[in-house]
Amino acid sequence: MANHALAVLESALRERKLDRTLTTALPPLEQGNDVCAPTGVAAIDVCLRNGVPRGQLSELAGPRSSGRTTLLLQMLAAATRRGEIAALVDTFDRLDVASAEAAGIDLSRLLWIRGQALSAASGDEGHRREGMAKSAHGVAKSVRGGGPVEWAVDRALKALNLVLQAGGFGVVAIDLADAPGTTLRRLPFTTWLRVQRAVEGRDTACVLVTPEPIARSAGGITLTLASHTVWTGSCERPRVAGADVHLRVVSPRRRVGGEVMVMARAVEGGIEPMAAGLPNVAAGLPNVAAGLPNVAAGL
Amino acid sequence: MIGALYAAAGSDPARLEEIAREFSPRIDVRGPREITLDLSGLARLFGDARAIANELRRTAADRGLQVRIAIAGTGTAARLLVRHRAGITIVEPGGDVEALAPLPLALLADLVSLSSRGSSDPPHGTASRGRGSLDPPHGTASTRGRGSSDPPEAAELAATFRRWGLRTLGDLTALSADDVAARVGQPGVQWQRRARGEDPAPLVPAVPEERFEEGLDLEWPIEGLEPLSFVLGRLMEPLQAHLERRDRGAAVLHVRLHLVSKAVHERSLQLPAPIRDARTLRTLALLDLESHPPGAAIDRVVVAVDPTPARILQYSLITRPLPSPEQVSTLMARLTALMGDGRCGSPAPVDSWRPGSFAMAPFAPSPEAPSGGPGQVGLVGQVGQVSKTEAPVVVALRRFRFAVPARVQVEQGRPVRVTTDRRGLGGGRIEKCAGPWRSSGEWWEADAFGVGGTGRAGEAGRSENNTPWDRDEWDVTVSDGATYRLFRERDANAWFIDGVLD
Repeated sequence: MANHALAVLESALRERKLDRTLTTALPPLEQGNDVCAPTGVAAIDVCLRNGVPRGQLSELAGPRSSGRTTLLLQMLAAATRRGEIAALVDTFDRLDVASAEAAGIDLSRLLWIRGQALSAASGDEGHRREGMAKSAHGVAKSVRGGGPVEWAVDRALKALNLVLQAGGFGVVAIDLADAPGTTLRRLPFTTWLRVQRAVEGRDTACVLVTPEPIARSAGGITLTLASHTVWTGSCERPRVAGADVHLRVVSPRRRVGGEVMVMARAVEGGIEPMAAGLPNVAAGLPNVAAGLPNVAAGL
Repeated sequence: MIGALYAAAGSDPARLEEIAREFSPRIDVRGPREITLDLSGLARLFGDARAIANELRRTAADRGLQVRIAIAGTGTAARLLVRHRAGITIVEPGGDVEALAPLPLALLADLVSLSSRGSSDPPHGTASRGRGSLDPPHGTASTRGRGSSDPPEAAELAATFRRWGLRTLGDLTALSADDVAARVGQPGVQWQRRARGEDPAPLVPAVPEERFEEGLDLEWPIEGLEPLSFVLGRLMEPLQAHLERRDRGAAVLHVRLHLVSKAVHERSLQLPAPIRDARTLRTLALLDLESHPPGAAIDRVVVAVDPTPARILQYSLITRPLPSPEQVSTLMARLTALMGDGRCGSPAPVDSWRPGSFAMAPFAPSPEAPSGGPGQVGLVGQVGQVSKTEAPVVVALRRFRFAVPARVQVEQGRPVRVTTDRRGLGGGRIEKCAGPWRSSGEWWEADAFGVGGTGRAGEAGRSENNTPWDRDEWDVTVSDGATYRLFRERDANAWFIDGVLD
């Protein structure tokens, strides 16, 4: 009965050419090869139909150790492998360069904007004074009157806007993963609208890394992540083998969605002394390889 | 028709060049006292060669310069003659060889050796044949030979010709070129050509050095950057037009601010690529002055650039275009003003075992697309399905640049519980742990610098810190599911959280 009434109503409106206002949802966006930035992980790209949309704000959301940084570095690596340049606004200066290199990022094509690292006791006044003193001539004062975390987030958002306005970047990411949820929720919602407007129509895929979805961009996608660490080895001498990352894709306007499982493995070889294949030596036995002077460093 | 001017010692080279430029745009400055100039076409203005020479000499005398003038068919002939004869020397067309024949061979030796040195300041020392304060334009082979910078080949050749009994240029030109080549090779033949007055290279006109500088005296001193931006804009636009006319770009931008305190505030910006866009230059100057403001109000503003040939860009239809150097430099200047010095750029690994060490490099991506990434490994794809191989997925570490102090409970040599005062960082019972991985380094620096003990853990990630470290690392998964990297400073027996595997 209700359906019949609705049909009659729609028919009447159509006669008066008023049916165009009756859209219940925005039309789905077309996705082509050129309008997406592949993540570099085949399973995710298949699920997202070629990657993260360009000209949109997308999110990687998840709790600590959920694989957000892993996936972010994969996206940046894929962008630099394609010959694009990428930018990372690192709000709290958390990028591990060895991990970035292990992920395959061409570091010369990555613009790294380092925010202020939090000192030993988070939120202490020492950090606040240090940070404020470093803001050259009052250029970047906290506008929201909060603590150092709010101040760092504020500066990171300004830096993100500058990068987006400059254009030319394939992927621009802002890492807010360590920002407290209260701080992020206190940001005006227009913040993300402004970011969306800044990136709209450009070839840039903007990626936001947060502990929980906050931007809710209509055109972008949201990847919520969860993972658990995979251990290997004997009970006496276990070691981290990697992590099983579970992704759920949410996209209001794109006909994509689903769940993906990705296996990330621990770094092997290279810079990290821990993961350089050294045996788990008994405590007290010096690690000779790591303790020797680094001859190549000029000693 | 080529003329050569040779000025008396102590003459102002700039004034000599100015006189030459009044007569011909095609001049070649051979040295501080010698200039050759192309006089072709001047007959319509002044008359024959002698009239031109007289006019030149009169103009020079009016400016207080004593000059010798020689006009001949070639530059070499004119130069040889002007060095040999005082006053005005005119050689009729086609008479160069005859005019040069009686000149001493030592004159040519001087010219060759000076040309090789890239300088035409003649040697001094023999008795003056000139008049007034003009130095003798040539020396003997022996006096020339004392110059330590003379090319040895020229000296040897001159000595050889002297041993052969050759004294004048005519003696040399009279020899068969084949015989000369057979005995002393091609250099001898080249000497013969010069002795006949032939030029080894065409005259290359010297382009006057242009100054790309604009200045403005202000009626009222200005303070603050906003009014300065208008002044800079007004100065940059004619500068841009000037650079465009010459097809040049700015390699270095100099901003000189004369302050009311009589001090001069000077800033120089090295630009990553030649730039001549007025707005970009103004923005860069303003952003730099924002970080380094003048100490007082500004009386006079001077902007200058070091010019360099403009860039030629070849855009690709295939690859995605990178931002122009102007955009990149403006962005970097803005970001540096916002975030602080040394906080924007490209990360660069350093050759060190220190955990978390890195360096910052300037962000300057190359236009060439990189080759393929690192090795390829497999990964698990959509649930229950294995995807095709792709780039490796490696677990990343989120590193705390200042390691977070933690309280760790240890049982049987292994950590079993971790807690911290840092807000937002979970802690709890350790469910799994791996370690310890021991690393140490820079201990050899401790003695050299008199540093005792290990470096502060809070600074462990800083590459510039070369203090020693000695620590045991552990990977632990706590009860909330997060996996941390802990380390224990062995000397202080203090625990820290180094990062989170994420």
